[in-house]
Amino acid sequence: MSLYMVQRCLFDHLRRLEAAGDGPKPAIVTEGYNLTPEEVRAVTEPDIGAIYRMGAHPVLINGFCRALGYKRADYRPLLVDTSAAPVKVKARWQK
Amino acid sequence: MAEIVMAYAAAHAPMMTADPGSAPRQQAENFFGALEKVRDVAKETGVQAIVMMTGEHFTNFFLDGLPQIAIGLDDEHLGPPEVWLQVPKKMVPSNAGLAAHITASLIEQGQQPALSYGMKIDHGFMTVYYWLDNSMELPMVPIVLNCTTPPLMTMQQFYDFGVTLGKAIRSYTGLERVGLVAGGGLSHFIGEPRVGDIDEEFDHWFLDRLATGDLSEILNMPNDELALAGNGTGELRAWVALAAAMGSAPGKVLSYEPVYEWINGMGVVLYDGDNVAAKA
Repeated sequence: MSLYMVQRCLFDHLRRLEAAGDGPKPAIVTEGYNLTPEEVRAVTEPDIGAIYRMGAHPVLINGFCRALGYKRADYRPLLVDTSAAPVKVKARWQK
Repeated sequence: MAEIVMAYAAAHAPMMTADPGSAPRQQAENFFGALEKVRDVAKETGVQAIVMMTGEHFTNFFLDGLPQIAIGLDDEHLGPPEVWLQVPKKMVPSNAGLAAHITASLIEQGQQPALSYGMKIDHGFMTVYYWLDNSMELPMVPIVLNCTTPPLMTMQQFYDFGVTLGKAIRSYTGLERVGLVAGGGLSHFIGEPRVGDIDEEFDHWFLDRLATGDLSEILNMPNDELALAGNGTGELRAWVALAAAMGSAPGKVLSYEPVYEWINGMGVVLYDGDNVAAKA
């Protein structure tokens, strides 16, 4: 329904995980966020690439991936965005 | 009146406490050696409390209400919420008088920080703070900055903020020796296709400018250009504010290591305290 609600769903899930501490990890809750079927699929499957393409905040994506057990940059292959053209802008620090 | 007797900026990659041994040994020794030097300076100067700035990671705020700058105003703050950080959970003491004074002074000087009670201090603070004082008894006034969610304050605006923050600290009469700390950066990418990259060329460029004290090219850099060095690199706003608070004095780059195992450019920059700078 809205990018904000997808992000809210992820944020609330991460907070529940934090509150659970070392105890059993709660499953993600999608009720109450008015998500579309595709959004529900993306966050429950989960489909990190789809969540990224929706425009979710990178801090949330990173936190969600960490909660799923990904270390360091291990989730990078999930985020390949073939629709985006490479950025070719020269920054002032580049020689 | 308080003096800022020490000031430093340091990267705060979670892996530096969660899994420090994962870095190549020489890189880890260089980075942690710099933090040990800073710790020695803190002891030598007898710092009574620190004021620390770092980026907000959706630990205290979310998109339904995200301040650009927020100051923790309690007597103590709980940290860290991340159970995996390998830093003991503790109520870290603050100095509520200093926090209240800073907030009031900033507002008088035209800044508009948010007030925050119940602030939690996550890895952005605790990684660096734990290396400064692993007893976690040194009082710390926490300040969180929005560094990742546009529209963002510019580098120039954070520089201006830093100037006012320095004045605010130095006008406090309740303490004599205060430290100023910035956590975050250097270049890193998270939650996007370049996660794991480090822009070493940017990091050297940025550190070179801090070392000379000429921040002009940093301050007129648009946010979009800064983001080319990484979507987490904007945390360097805290470093710029700290440099401003120290009068744009040349910083001493104690270490720089691109630690790919920690997916982060890791650096430490130390500034002379007020008394040393005044004698120079």
